[in-house]
Amino acid sequence: MIDTLHQSGGRGTLFPGTPPALDLRGIDKAFDGKPALVDASFSLEWGEVHAIVGENGAGKSTLMNVAAGVYAADGGEQTIDGKARSPRSPMEATAAGLGMVHQHFRLVQSFTVSENILLSLGRDSRIRTPAQAAAAIAAKAAEVGLPVDPARVVADLSTAERQRVEIVRVLLLGARILILDEPTAVLSEEEAKMLLSFVRRLARQGHAVVLITHKFREVAGFCDRITIMRHGKTVMAGAPVADIDEGEVARLMVGEALAVSERPLSSPGAVNLSVSGLTQKPDRFGQGLNALNFELHAGEVLGIAGVGGNGQEELVACLTGLSRQDQGSIRLGGRDLSRASPYDRRKAGLRIIPSDRFETGLVRELSIAENLALTQVAKGNFGGTFFLNRKGMRHAATAAIQSFDIRGASPERAAALLSGGNAQKVLLARELDAGMKVLVAHSPSRGLDMKATLFVRNAIKQAVEGGAACLLISEDLNEVLSLSHRVAVMNRGSIAGCRAIGDVTPEWIGALLAGHV
Amino acid sequence: MFDAAFLVRRQAPGLLLSGACYAGGLFVGLAVSAFLLVQAGVPAGALVDEFLVATFLTSDGLSQTLTAALPLVLVGLASAVAMRVRFWNIGIEGQLWLGAVAATWVALGGIGPEPLRLPLMLVLGAVVGAAWIALPLWLKLKWGVNEVISTLLLGSIAFLLVQHLLFGVWRDPATNFPVTAAFPEASRFAATGWGQLHYGFLLVGAVTAALWYLLDYTRVGFYADAVGHNIKTARAAGLPVGATITGLVLLSGALSGLAGVTIIAGTEHRLSQVVGNGYLFSAIVVAYLARAKPVWVLVVALALGAVFTAGNVLKVFYSISEGMIVLVQGTVLISILMAQFFSTYALSRPS
Amino acid sequence: MDFLIGWLAIIPSYATPLLLASLGLIICERAGVLNLGAEGLMAVGAMTGAIIVLSGGNPWAALGGGAVAAAALALLFGLATVVKRADHTLSGLAIVAIGLGMTGVLGRPYVQKTFPGIETLGDLFGIDRGTVFGRIVAVQDPVTIALPLVVFALWWWLQKTRSGLRLTAVGENPAAADVAGIDIQLTQLAAVLASGVLCGLAGAYLSVATSHVWVEGMVAARGWVAIALVIFARWNPARALLGALLFGAADALVPRLQAIGADFPVYLTMTAPYILTLGVLVLSSLRGKTSGEPGFLGRVYLRQDKH
Repeated sequence: MIDTLHQSGGRGTLFPGTPPALDLRGIDKAFDGKPALVDASFSLEWGEVHAIVGENGAGKSTLMNVAAGVYAADGGEQTIDGKARSPRSPMEATAAGLGMVHQHFRLVQSFTVSENILLSLGRDSRIRTPAQAAAAIAAKAAEVGLPVDPARVVADLSTAERQRVEIVRVLLLGARILILDEPTAVLSEEEAKMLLSFVRRLARQGHAVVLITHKFREVAGFCDRITIMRHGKTVMAGAPVADIDEGEVARLMVGEALAVSERPLSSPGAVNLSVSGLTQKPDRFGQGLNALNFELHAGEVLGIAGVGGNGQEELVACLTGLSRQDQGSIRLGGRDLSRASPYDRRKAGLRIIPSDRFETGLVRELSIAENLALTQVAKGNFGGTFFLNRKGMRHAATAAIQSFDIRGASPERAAALLSGGNAQKVLLARELDAGMKVLVAHSPSRGLDMKATLFVRNAIKQAVEGGAACLLISEDLNEVLSLSHRVAVMNRGSIAGCRAIGDVTPEWIGALLAGHV
Repeated sequence: MFDAAFLVRRQAPGLLLSGACYAGGLFVGLAVSAFLLVQAGVPAGALVDEFLVATFLTSDGLSQTLTAALPLVLVGLASAVAMRVRFWNIGIEGQLWLGAVAATWVALGGIGPEPLRLPLMLVLGAVVGAAWIALPLWLKLKWGVNEVISTLLLGSIAFLLVQHLLFGVWRDPATNFPVTAAFPEASRFAATGWGQLHYGFLLVGAVTAALWYLLDYTRVGFYADAVGHNIKTARAAGLPVGATITGLVLLSGALSGLAGVTIIAGTEHRLSQVVGNGYLFSAIVVAYLARAKPVWVLVVALALGAVFTAGNVLKVFYSISEGMIVLVQGTVLISILMAQFFSTYALSRPS
Repeated sequence: MDFLIGWLAIIPSYATPLLLASLGLIICERAGVLNLGAEGLMAVGAMTGAIIVLSGGNPWAALGGGAVAAAALALLFGLATVVKRADHTLSGLAIVAIGLGMTGVLGRPYVQKTFPGIETLGDLFGIDRGTVFGRIVAVQDPVTIALPLVVFALWWWLQKTRSGLRLTAVGENPAAADVAGIDIQLTQLAAVLASGVLCGLAGAYLSVATSHVWVEGMVAARGWVAIALVIFARWNPARALLGALLFGAADALVPRLQAIGADFPVYLTMTAPYILTLGVLVLSSLRGKTSGEPGFLGRVYLRQDKH
C-alpha cells in the first residue's frame, strides 16, 4: 500500500548520493539538572517521512526543539544537509532550511494571517507590506495545495486552519526540512488524513519531513522510517516501517510490559455523583459545555476519552468549583453542590487530580509538608485558630512520603524540586484520604514514566475498590480502557456516547472521537 | 542577544546562592550610593562616621535611629503583609496621611476622655487607613482593577485632602503657616527621656511581634503563602482566598494609618505637609529587602532608620538634599533586583 | 465665555506632556515591558531641560537634553527588566525613586529660577490675539501643534509597517515573535529607550514650555496619570490623544479658575484628574478581555521555558 524506500536494507534513500537532510548525534540536554536527552541521535533522509515515536516525556519534542534552535543542546553534533550546523535560534534553523511546526502554534492571535507571516520574513525579504505578503501566501498555498486565506484574523481560525498557516509559513521561509510536532493530535480523522497525505506528497517532491507522533496508525500508513525514543534515549534509530510491527513498537516505547490487571466485576453501588444538564457558554478562547449528563456509582470508574480541548478542562473547573456553570446541577451523595464553594465540595468528599499539577494542584514554592496539609488546615486538622501545628504537618508528611514511596523527598523540600512522578504521588497522598467519595482525575499519568504511571493507576484502582467513585478524564485511550468500567467520549463540549467497557469497540470510539456520530 | 538561547530557570535556587546574590546586590548598591554621596560633596572619610558611628555607636545617634525607624517598621510591615498576598500597596503614603488626619481630628477636637485620647487616635488612625485601601481592594476583587494605579491615585488624593485642611480649617492661627496647632500632652506619646525616643516604640514592638506570630505560627500566614504563590491552587484546595486577601490588605492599610499616627503623636506633635513624605519607597524597599518577613522588617527598618538619621546630618553639614535618601533606596533596590538574576536563572551552555 | 476661551487655550499645553509620556508608554508596553517608572523619567527630563536653559542653552536643545537624560535612566530600567529580567513593577518603582531622588539632589541650585521657554505660535508668526481664534492659537507652541502628526505617524507605524507589527508581536506573544526571528530583547530595549525619550520630552516640556521654572516634584503624579491613560487608550495612540485632551482639561481647570479669581476649594478641585483617572480605570477594567492589553505585558519571556 505504500511505496517503501527500504527494500534492500541499509541506508536506502530516494535521492542517492545526497547527504542526510538532518543528522543529530550524541545530543545531551538537561533542564536545570534533570536530563531530558541522553546521547540521543536521529538521522533524516531527503524524500522521506520519518516518524519519531515515544511516550509523553520520552524526549521527542525536546530533541526536535534542539534541532530547530529552540533549545540549546548541552552537547552533541548536528548537521543539516551534510554541513555542521547547530542553530542557536529558530531563525538560524530557518536560514539553514529547517522549519518546525510546534504543537502550540506560534501565531499572534490578534494579527491576520498575512501579518503573522510578514512578521517572520527576514529584513532582506522583498515582501514588505501585508498586501505583498498576502499575494505570496496565496501563491505558495496554491503551489503546495493547502487552502489558506491570508486576510483572516488568526483568532477566528479553526485549529486545522491555523496549522495550515504554520505550514505555509515555514515553507514560504524556504524550509525544505519540515518538523511537525504531534500535528494530528488536534485534528479530526478526516483532517489528519488530509494532512498526512499532504506531507507525504511534499516529501516525495524532495523535502524531508519529521513527524512526532504516538499513533502507530499514522506511522504505518504514511511514514517511511521510524525512530523510537524512551527516557531521552534513542532506542531504535531509523528502522524501515515495513520491517516493524505494532507490538514491537509498543514494547520499545514502554520498555517493560504493561501490566493491566483484570477489572473486578462488582455490581455498581449507590450513585455518588450525579451531573445533569451541565452547561457553560464558551468564552473567547475556550470550549463550552453542552448539557452534560452522567452518574457515577460507588466502586466504579467512568472514563471520559476525547481529544484535548473538547471541554475537559472546563468540566474539571466546573466540578472543582473554580468556575460556575450557567445551567445544570452537580449532586454528590444526595447533596446539591451546584453552587457550593470548593471548600464545601471537598468537605462533601470531592477530590481532584488536575491535569496540570502545578497550576491547580500543588504550590511549587511551598514545602511538601505544606502542600500535603493544604486542604487540611482549613478544616482545623493542624491546630486551631491561634496555632498552626507545623510539627504535626511534618510528621504527617513523613508518613505520607513513606506510604506513597515518594523518592528523594523530605517534608521540608520545595515541591518544585520533585520529579513529575513524585509530585503526582504527593498529590495522590493528599487527595486519596479517608473522606474521599468521588475522585476526579484528569490525565493522571500525563508526563510520567511507566513505573509512576502504574503506581498512579493502581492507586486509583485501590481507591475505587475501597468504595469511591472515579471520573477519569484522559486523552490517553490506553489509560481510559485499562481502568474504566464505563467509557464515555467527549467531543466539542458534549458527551457523544457512553458504553459499558465490554461493549466498547475501537470503531465506536474512533467514530465518536472524530465526531462522526 | 545576551545569551538568550542558553538561559534556563532554576527550579529552586539554593539558600547559599540566593544569599550570595542578595549580598552582592546589596554591596554594589551601597557602593554606588557611597560613590554618589562622595560626588555630591561628602568626604569619603566622613561616610563611616555619619552612617555607622553617629547612627548606632553614639547614644544620641542610636536614639535618633530608633526613633526614625519606628514609622519605617510600621510602613515596612504594611507593605510586607500586602506583598505576601501579591497585592501592590502603592498607596501607603495616602493611608498614612489619612491615619494622621484622623488622629489630628481627635487631638485638636479633644474627642473623648483624656486617658483614652491616644488610644482613640491610634484606633481611629488604623481604621481610616484600612478604609482608604478598602476601595482599591474592592475594585480589584470585584472587577480586577489594577491596584498599582488605584492605590497610588488615592495616595495623591489623600495628600490633597491634607493640604485642603492645612490651608483651611486647620491652619495654625498663631503663625498662619499651613501646619496645625501643636497637640496637647494627652495626644502625644510620652517621651522616654532618651533623646527623641518616645513610648511608641512599645507599640511598634508589640505590633511586630504580633505580626511575626500571625504570619509564622497561625494559619493566616500559611494561607497567605499559598494564595501569594499560587492563587488557583489555593482556591481549588478550598482555602478562604478572598478572606485572606481582604484581611491582609486591610491590615496593610491599618498599619500605614498607624504609622501616620505614630509620626505625629510621637515626634512631630502636629500635622504638617512634610510628615508623610517619602514613606512609600521606604516601605517597599524595607518589605522587599526583608523578603516580607516581619522580623527582617525590623532589621532592615533599623538600617534604613540610620540612613534617615545620617541623611539629616548630611543635610545640615554638607547641604545634601533629602532626595539623597530616596536615591540611595532606589539604587540599592534596583541593584538587588538585578543581582537576583543570577540566582533565578542559570546559563546552560553547550560544553 | 472668557473663562471658556482661556480654558480652551491652555488645555493643549496641559495635554501635551501627558500625551508625550503615554505615547512612550504605549510603545514600551506594546513590547511587553510594563514601565511604571514614568514619573521618575519625567522628573529627570524636567530637571535636565531646566538646567540646560538656565545654563544658557537653547530651549529646543533643552527639550532634547531632557529626552537624552531620561533615556539614560530608561536604559538602566531596560538593563534590569529586559537583560536581567527583574520584576517589572519593582524595577519601575526603583526608577521612580532614582529619578525623584536624583532631581532632588542635583537640581537644588536651580530651584525657583525662572527662564524663557520655547516660542509660541503668537511669537513666531505674529498672530493677532484680538480674535477668539487668535487667542486660542497664539499661545500654542510648535510641539503641541506637531503632536497630532506624531500620533498619526505612530499609529500608522504600529498598524501598517512590518517593524511596527514586530513590536506588537513581541508584547502579544514573544514565543511566536521568537520563532519569527525577532530579537525579543533588542526590540524591548529599543521600546524602553523610546519610552525614556518620550517621557523625558514630556518632563522637559513641563519645565521648558509650560512653567518656565523648575521646582522639585513638579511632575506631580503626571507620570502615573499617563500610565492610567494608556489603559484608557487601550494601547492605541489615537485614543491616547483623546484621553490626553480629557485629562488635560481636568488638569487645566484649577489654574483657570484661579486666574479668574474664583473662590473655590483649590485642593479639592485638584483631585479632579485623579478621580477622573480612577473612574476611567474602573470603566476600562469592566471591558475585561477586550481591553487591548498586550498578552504578555509585564511578564518575563524565556525561550527555554515550556510554552
